[in-house]
Amino acid sequence: MRTVVCVKEVLDPDAVGAYAVSGHLEIGDDAKTLTQTTIPRLMNAYDEQAIEAALRLRDGGADTTVCAVSVGADTTATLRHAFSLGVDEVVAISPPAGVEVDCHVVAALLAAFVRDRGADLVLTGRQASDDDQGVVPALVGEALAMPVVTIARAVDVDGTKVTVTRVTPDGDEVAETELPAVVTVSSELGEPRYPNVKMKMAARKVTPEVVAPSDLSVPDGGLQPLLRLERQWVPAVAGECEILEADSAAALADLLIDRLVDDKTLQAGGGRP
Amino acid sequence: MTAPVIVCSTGTEAPEEAEATLTLGRKVAAASGTDVRWLLLGAAPDGYADVARRHGVAAVDIAGGDGIDEGDADVLVAAVARYWERSPGQVLVFAQTFSTRDIAPRVAARIGAAVVTNAVDVDAGGDAGLEVSAAAFGGDTRVLYAVTPGVACVVTLQPNAIEPTAADGTAPEPAVEKLDLDLSGVVRGVRVVEAARSDGPRLEDADVIVAGGRGLKSAENYQLVVELAALLGGMAGASRPIVDDGWIDSAHQVGLTGKITRPALYVAAGISGATQHVVGCTAAKTLVAINTDADASIFRHARYGIVGDCLEILPELIRSARDRGVRR
Ligand SMILES: Cc1cc2nc3c(=O)[nH]c(=O)nc-3n(C[C@H](O)[C@H](O)[C@H](O)COP(=O)(O)OP(=O)(O)OC[C@H]3O[C@@H](n4cnc5c(N)ncnc54)[C@H](O)[C@@H]3O)c2cc1C
Repeated sequence: MRTVVCVKEVLDPDAVGAYAVSGHLEIGDDAKTLTQTTIPRLMNAYDEQAIEAALRLRDGGADTTVCAVSVGADTTATLRHAFSLGVDEVVAISPPAGVEVDCHVVAALLAAFVRDRGADLVLTGRQASDDDQGVVPALVGEALAMPVVTIARAVDVDGTKVTVTRVTPDGDEVAETELPAVVTVSSELGEPRYPNVKMKMAARKVTPEVVAPSDLSVPDGGLQPLLRLERQWVPAVAGECEILEADSAAALADLLIDRLVDDKTLQAGGGRP
Repeated sequence: MTAPVIVCSTGTEAPEEAEATLTLGRKVAAASGTDVRWLLLGAAPDGYADVARRHGVAAVDIAGGDGIDEGDADVLVAAVARYWERSPGQVLVFAQTFSTRDIAPRVAARIGAAVVTNAVDVDAGGDAGLEVSAAAFGGDTRVLYAVTPGVACVVTLQPNAIEPTAADGTAPEPAVEKLDLDLSGVVRGVRVVEAARSDGPRLEDADVIVAGGRGLKSAENYQLVVELAALLGGMAGASRPIVDDGWIDSAHQVGLTGKITRPALYVAAGISGATQHVVGCTAAKTLVAINTDADASIFRHARYGIVGDCLEILPELIRSARDRGVRR
């Protein structure tokens, strides 16, 4: 069996958040690109969890190879990280020249890669922590006519059947489908493993295979973006917080309850019976 | 006339979110000189005709039946795609829910449209054509996408992004049609072998939420949050790290990848206010923050703030609330 994990390199969302909150997020002259070189680039954490799900399948006895694939101009660091975690194969798909790649182009490339090289199971994170769109897995599934099962806490394969425990707003749901299938993984899967030193060393020497769009059987029009990022900005937050001050925790608590009763958020009752 | 704006409700959205999508649909339709058609999948909600009239909807199309009523994703995707074949639009708007987030991109793929999730606004009719703004980086930034001219766009509208408002003046009675979409050939690829059991009240509907984060220090201290929530007649919420650490199950997680809530009162204790959390509680009418760090970003969203140790403040709040018998 062959498992393909689609991974994306993103700007560290915590660093972006810290800069945005402090009012220091730098946006380039194109009015959309985040330019701070001090913001680390890393593998989208949900994709790391998708790799973890694949490795757990293999550790659990599933006879599968694991391939990590990423679309991007320079994803070597991310793919080396994937290798250090224990995947067997790392592939970089270079974006088509002169095109501002959108989610539709990324999905077309990934789907073509899976079509050409094969996969029984396609795993990805539930969404990328930069654009938060979470649409690529569904687009890939549709392009390949594979079932799509989202937001997995656990993934199990038994023969040609995959069983997925999904985290839904109403609690866990267990769903199953036939392979080949696309499954997206959520943080509830649990901590991904850390690479050991030996694997880290080995990964440094690994060069991902580079695949060009022209090497792939992308259907006509598949490399035409449908969306163009025009602008990016930090939204204003209307802050009007009253910081309550008093001498003790008890007095602060009483003051807060006063405020909440005064502004009718809460109603005072009869007091302790 | 330009193709209409199609608003699709699946019954998984709150009524006010359905109205928000109709409000947005009306704006886009007016800007591009077209109508809104409202596609209702599954059992039509009570009072839908009134809602449609209030929002100036031109036509209501109702599709139900096997699979649709159960909310099976494969069937819903096929139903919307089939509907689009007979009645294509320029924009298809869903209220963003767990379910529509799954089906929207799949529908887009079937009908050859672009897709944008976490949308907060849509503009049309200007020189730039169709433009969608959306939240990115958990809400730390906003992005504006331009849709390629001639391409339709499927949009899921983030909860609380738009205030629902009624149309001006009186609109004519919308045409209502019950559709019979032939879905007999649809393959249901995914079997639910164990359904999620939605037991008890939902955080999304809670009027009061007391939420805790890593600042509580330990799972035992989460009881303070639970106790205060119960005392105020509300529910307990949580930030993601403490859900990940198993202090409380994920049904209580508030935020981007948890629940989007809109209570009258939200108390955030020991929560830093990362945007990914805050998107789940900024619709609260009154937000109270308790944090030892005066610079914590949660205070930017709060109405009242206490700079202090939540392990000292929460027990006092419990005492004070109990003494005075306060409730929502
Ligand atoms: C793609 C993505 C999706 C995410 N989705 C979500 C989501 O849905 N929900 C979510 O919550 N997070 C989500 N996160 C994580 C989010 O970015 C934050 O990491 C998380 O919300 C932080 O949780 P916290 O505030 O409990 O912890 P911390 O950030 O560690 O903050 C703890 C706070 O407690 C304060 N504190 C410490 N001790 C005390 C004390 N004794 N009394 C009072 N205050 C104290 C500290 O000053 C600090 O502000 C997501 C992240 C990503 C990248």
